Amino acid sequence: MHNRPVRTLVLVGVVGALAISGTGCGKKKSKSDSGLKGSAAAGGAAGKTYKIGFQGPLSGDNQQLGINEVNATELAIDQANAGGKLAFKLVLQKSDDVGAPATAPAAAATLIQDTAVVGVIGPSFSGATKAVGKTYAAANLALISPSATNPTLTELGFTTFHRIIPSDNVEGLQAADWFAGKGLKKIYVIDDLSDYGKGVADAVEKQLKVKGVAVTRQGVDAKTTDYGAIAQTVASSGTDAMFYGGYDAQAGLLAKAIKSSGYKGLTVTGNGGKSSVFTKGAGDAGDGWYFTCGCLDATTAPEAKAFNDAYTAKYNAPSSTYSPEAFDATNAMIEAIKAAAAKGDITRQSVLDAVNALDYKGITTEVKFEKSGEVTATVQTVNLYTQKAGAIVLIGNIKDQK
Amino acid sequence: MSDVMGYLILGVTRGCMYALIALGYTLVYGVLQLINFAHSEVFMSGAFGSFIVVHSIVGDGRHTPSWAVPLVILVGLASGAVTGASVAWGLERVAYRPLRRRGAPKLAFLISAIGASFFLSQLAGKLFNRYTNNGFPPYFKTDAVLFHILGARVQVVQAVIVVSAILMMIFLDRLVSGSKLGRGIRAVAEDAPTAALMGIDIDKTILRTFVIGGALAGAAGFLFGTAFVFYNTMGFIPGVKAFAAAVLGGIGNVRGAMLGGLILGVVENLVPVVHIDTKWTDVVAFVVLVIVLVVRPTGILGERLGRAA
Repeated sequence: MHNRPVRTLVLVGVVGALAISGTGCGKKKSKSDSGLKGSAAAGGAAGKTYKIGFQGPLSGDNQQLGINEVNATELAIDQANAGGKLAFKLVLQKSDDVGAPATAPAAAATLIQDTAVVGVIGPSFSGATKAVGKTYAAANLALISPSATNPTLTELGFTTFHRIIPSDNVEGLQAADWFAGKGLKKIYVIDDLSDYGKGVADAVEKQLKVKGVAVTRQGVDAKTTDYGAIAQTVASSGTDAMFYGGYDAQAGLLAKAIKSSGYKGLTVTGNGGKSSVFTKGAGDAGDGWYFTCGCLDATTAPEAKAFNDAYTAKYNAPSSTYSPEAFDATNAMIEAIKAAAAKGDITRQSVLDAVNALDYKGITTEVKFEKSGEVTATVQTVNLYTQKAGAIVLIGNIKDQK
Repeated sequence: MSDVMGYLILGVTRGCMYALIALGYTLVYGVLQLINFAHSEVFMSGAFGSFIVVHSIVGDGRHTPSWAVPLVILVGLASGAVTGASVAWGLERVAYRPLRRRGAPKLAFLISAIGASFFLSQLAGKLFNRYTNNGFPPYFKTDAVLFHILGARVQVVQAVIVVSAILMMIFLDRLVSGSKLGRGIRAVAEDAPTAALMGIDIDKTILRTFVIGGALAGAAGFLFGTAFVFYNTMGFIPGVKAFAAAVLGGIGNVRGAMLGGLILGVVENLVPVVHIDTKWTDVVAFVVLVIVLVVRPTGILGERLGRAA
């Protein structure tokens, strides 16, 4: 631990150097480029190529979520390029952070160092975002995350961070209201000790206590494979309902253990558990589980049909959790770049300003950010899903459910 | 009462798997006085190896007649054991023997084992996948209730794990205490140069020790995969726990490893009974380990290198 200050110093040095070299190169490049062919369209953006970065898990244990997102991002960029309305060309720059805080700084650095990158979709995960939010802020690079939901992310001074989904606070609060509305008296709240899982579980617990529901709180490390003991605890406690804050693979294992423990009450998990990884892992044991998610299911929502058709045609698989959100985030970013081009040069600063001023109607939500980077409160929707016969189906806005 | 019994059943099941893995650590420690840190990956490879065989027999597992289930389980155990044994064999040849021939310091063995461990888990990730939720085909209903003990249910998979683990442990105990090979292993553990003078081929004995430990861990990999899931980094946590179990029972002591595994598994699962949040499970388990080692620094049964199990 005593080498902390040294490490921090080195980190600050590196980040600083990156930021300086980043902006320095950016200026040089835009100057020479605009000298050559800057006359055709507004802002000198004509014919130039700009990059939209993507940071998320593209390999490793959590790659499925990253792939869901990066495919949608790629689709949005391809559609924009093919639309013929852009005065410039957009290219996707992928950067793999494996979803882990430890690898996120390197993934962020590759995007920040690439001066053609003017905006970033991601990071996908809350923990990874925490690790790099400051770095992106220092580089003035706008972030729009389709899926990082930890509540604290918009309170840590990450000035360029935006997200188009409600934070876990909103999701947890509405899930708790739903529980309370059912008249339940005793609820088990379990988390996986991760940034995301603990955040959403905390939010549920807090609101349940406000509503006067008795909460028993437990934690199970996300690396656990044997959920027998916790399942037995839930079953023998005689609780009415159980909420799990954690990711899909673990939620699937928990579902199996819960089923074999003979527990009959309600079982609910948050947006991290809602995926095909859960349905595959849990099998029959997942039937009857509920999911709260500030996300929209492109396979059922009418607004997203065109998107889903295009996605299926391109990737030979239906879009999945957070694909529609990534599609919206990317289109919002493209709108912002267009707005920046209309006003003048496309720089990281001008794109960031445009993102902050954005008002774009996507397929999942209206993309309009508050100062904190959260999407405007009036459009934050949390949907309730359930697993029926091995597939996750949309029930509807959780506020309308009994 | 039935609650406590339920936790005990869970604990014994988990403990049996720890014990099977712990035996590999303790056997190798016996003959080499070294911790084989790649042993957790032998366990992992057993799960993958047996999956390939089982999957090729039952396919998606939906049409397996019930009379075939015990046979498939036996084949799974055997294929897991064969995979584990082969990987352990290769490990000894590649990561240990060259160093031993050159009389390398013990630290070099440690590094070489850790390297082999990374290599194996990443290789499995590369060859198969890196998802953390691979499961065996559902060729039998693992969570069907077989019978009750004091009101607590015993699932089929728990019975399979406990019965097969106990049979394997009895077999190993006999092997080490009664057979010629076992005598050789004990002789090398007691005093390798003297054993060599008595006509025991040390290289062969060490190799066979690795193979036996590998077979047990490989079979445990199959059981673990059947009960839960399997993936390329699955070995790490059970490996650390099993190593702790071997130390708890007395490293180098075969019965100690069995006892240590069982105790650790049971202690971990009794955490909720005493109303401690399950997130403290590992803390409780290792506090117990530390207390035992403070009272008995050589483990519960003590180091008994070379003596009849």
